[in-house]
Amino acid sequence: MGLLTLIVLLPLLGFLVNGLAGNRLGKRFVSVVGCGLPAIAFAVTVKCFLDLRAGGWAPIAETAYVWAMVGQSTFEIAFWFDRLTAVMALIVTGVGTLIHVYSIGYMHEDKSYARYFAYLNLFLFFMLLLVLGKSLLVLFVGWEGVGLASYLLIGFWFGDMEKAAAGKKAFVFNRIGDAGFLLGMFAIYSALGTLDMPAINAAFMGASTPAVSATLVGILLFIGATGKSAQIPLYVWLPDAMAGPTPVSALIHAATMVTAGVYLVARMSGIYLHAPEASTIIAAVGALTALMAATIAIAQDDIKKVLAYSTVSQLGFMFVALGVGAYGVAIFHVTTHAFFKACLFLGAGSVIHAMSGEQDIQKMGGLGRKIPVTFVTFAIATAAIAGIPPLSGFFSKDEILWFALGSERGGSVLLFSVMAFTALLTAFYMFRLLWLTFFGKPRMLKDVEHHIHESPFSMTGVLMVLAFLSAVGGFIAIPHFLEPMLPIPAIGAAMQPLHYWVVGGSIAIAATGLAGAAWFFSGDSARAAAVKARFAGVYRVLSNKYFVDELYDRIVGRPLVWISDAVFLKLGDRLLIDGTLNGLASLAQRAAGRLSRVQTGSLHKYAFLVLVGMVASLVWMWRHG
Amino acid sequence: MDKVQMLQVLAASLFALGLTGVIIRRNVLVMLMCMELMLNGVNLSLVTFAHTMGSTVGAVLVFLIFVVATAEIAIAIPIVLLLVRRKRSLDIESYTDLKG
Amino acid sequence: MIHDFLAHLETLLLWGFAGCAFVSASLMLVLRQPMRVAMALVSCMVFLGGVYGLLGVHFIAAFQVLIYVGAVMVFMVYAIMLLDPRDESATAKYSKLLWPGIIGFALLAEALAVGYWNDLPHAPRGALGEPFDIARFSTAFLTEYWLHFELTSVLLLAAVVAALAVIKENRRHERG
Repeated sequence: MGLLTLIVLLPLLGFLVNGLAGNRLGKRFVSVVGCGLPAIAFAVTVKCFLDLRAGGWAPIAETAYVWAMVGQSTFEIAFWFDRLTAVMALIVTGVGTLIHVYSIGYMHEDKSYARYFAYLNLFLFFMLLLVLGKSLLVLFVGWEGVGLASYLLIGFWFGDMEKAAAGKKAFVFNRIGDAGFLLGMFAIYSALGTLDMPAINAAFMGASTPAVSATLVGILLFIGATGKSAQIPLYVWLPDAMAGPTPVSALIHAATMVTAGVYLVARMSGIYLHAPEASTIIAAVGALTALMAATIAIAQDDIKKVLAYSTVSQLGFMFVALGVGAYGVAIFHVTTHAFFKACLFLGAGSVIHAMSGEQDIQKMGGLGRKIPVTFVTFAIATAAIAGIPPLSGFFSKDEILWFALGSERGGSVLLFSVMAFTALLTAFYMFRLLWLTFFGKPRMLKDVEHHIHESPFSMTGVLMVLAFLSAVGGFIAIPHFLEPMLPIPAIGAAMQPLHYWVVGGSIAIAATGLAGAAWFFSGDSARAAAVKARFAGVYRVLSNKYFVDELYDRIVGRPLVWISDAVFLKLGDRLLIDGTLNGLASLAQRAAGRLSRVQTGSLHKYAFLVLVGMVASLVWMWRHG
Repeated sequence: MDKVQMLQVLAASLFALGLTGVIIRRNVLVMLMCMELMLNGVNLSLVTFAHTMGSTVGAVLVFLIFVVATAEIAIAIPIVLLLVRRKRSLDIESYTDLKG
Repeated sequence: MIHDFLAHLETLLLWGFAGCAFVSASLMLVLRQPMRVAMALVSCMVFLGGVYGLLGVHFIAAFQVLIYVGAVMVFMVYAIMLLDPRDESATAKYSKLLWPGIIGFALLAEALAVGYWNDLPHAPRGALGEPFDIARFSTAFLTEYWLHFELTSVLLLAAVVAALAVIKENRRHERG
């Protein structure tokens, strides 16, 4: 068994142990298994990374098992470890391990402690399958698996109907995207006869173009990515996914799983380099999503909802980078985003923990002095996402803005303006969140205020590590590191001199957002209330998320329910199937009722019938004998 | 009309008379006896054929019918006894419990 | 002369026994009292026994008289003596199906008679085959038909058990 297989199997082992025997083994054992195995997986990943470097960055391939052989095609469970995989696998195992450790403190009181860790390890297993898989097939297994784990963890507290429904919603929306993914896989397989991703990229990069439209395949795969990575039009599941435990939101719905779509597009960059139309669509969808989610985030009051929409918005940024051909930059943003968004979510978890479960930021305030570690780490991560230099978010976002403007593969002033405005909004709503939560006067109830306490070290320690990574993560030159694999697009000659302006501009944007939020929400945030009252209509639309859920319900949900009810249930099930069966039954019943009259109970009549039958058969016999 | 034909017609007549008796008589015991008559008709037919063809099969069957008839009557009489005790009647028309 | 007479006598007796059997059987349908019906049946059986005797199968004649008349009918007569006084309800002799029954009888008799008339095997007509004696019958019975013999034994055993069960059921019903 090779090291790559080991990385994948370690979390699976954790899942099996905790899932099958966790309840009997005690919390301490569950914690050791649940966090220890991912930590070992992280160590092995580091070892693989070092091997990769020692081998001159030549990709490591490893076949774990031959799944099926059909005719000429062989389907293997094979793993592939190159620069891109290395980055993703390090994020998944590294941040994943940190969040596991955090969960020890956060989930300590929960009675389903072992089940929680089992699911979390299961998620890690599938996520590693996804990033390490060599062929699209293995990637798809991981893709579906993380969807399953996500469903299980969103609906972790399934006793609450609303949370169970949120899990279902995520599952259904992911299925829609998966349909596109599957179609894309079919198209690729029918044209190329292989699902191996290096082979596919090579085929598209080769001299003779394959007999399948790169645009078609690109768009189909992107549909899959919109489902998993919460882009328009399938983004609505992600905000509801916050029903799960907060560490889950941090791990699955911020740092790792939702970036799977970004990873897929980057991994399949060979196709997208030949599909400018698909790339344009990706950039447009990404920009729209980023803008829309950012505007919604401004008007949300639930701390986790703000972060969820912020995640959707940041994913939009990544897709813009993918759309303009800056794949390495997108992965860079994935990395920094994993750090600061995980830190933010875990910080939010710490806040919720301190507030005895309260999530409404309007009922917080003044927490800065009471829970200082959480406050400081949260503030660093907020500054990072807002793009304050020299924190990590500044570098990655600045690169995205720069390529949105200057890339020869679809960069434009319009795209840049939208993204710059979104960046401004990002800074604004993030500092609004910071202000409302940690500054100002306490607005919570007295007994809640009394209970406010800093979280245990297993939580704050993780926060500090993540805050440190959020601060310095930008100095890891990931685009440069990935350049041999994912080339950086050329910058138009006319745009070259503008680079420093863009850098300066993005600093100014972040500062403006910060200043705006400080101005609006300092003190008793009377100015914000005034603005809210002034633009009540706009505020209502934003706080209700543009009524997208209601729109989907109207145009898809209700017609479906109506068709199911009227056509399938009433016509098909009740009338056709039940009707047929009931008809047959009543026919038999009536016929039996008629025939039962023959059963007179009179022996004379029976004997007479014997006589009649006998005469008839005799006559027939004499006639025909 | 020769002997064999005569005996066969007699056998058929006994059988038909017995069946008719089952149909038209109301007394349970009389009906039972009519059934015995039917068996006798069959026996006669078998014996005649066995005799005509010089075969033992018919005689064997007749012998078996004797045994079966004995067994039948040994069961039928207690059942009739039981029924009559319950219904206080030998009239078959009062036994219509199995009416559908 | 004597021989001729005897042969004619035999034929005459056969016809006479057959006629008497038919008359007795017919009487069974018209007599009212069950005891008289039983007597008619007994006489019918005895006449049939005579027919068997005249045909030369004496052992079957003997069985006919012994088993049917001696066992079955005696049993029947006991039952009649036991039950008949209880019968207060049988006011009507015939069922509602009297006329259909009679018509059916006529049709059945006609069908059978016509059938026999037309289709009887003609080869041995008149010339009766060799009458077989009890020794031949017994040999055939116990070599070729031993399985049937055993099966009838089982049937008899079942009948005994069933009769016991019926009596037991009767007692339980009386107690309960």
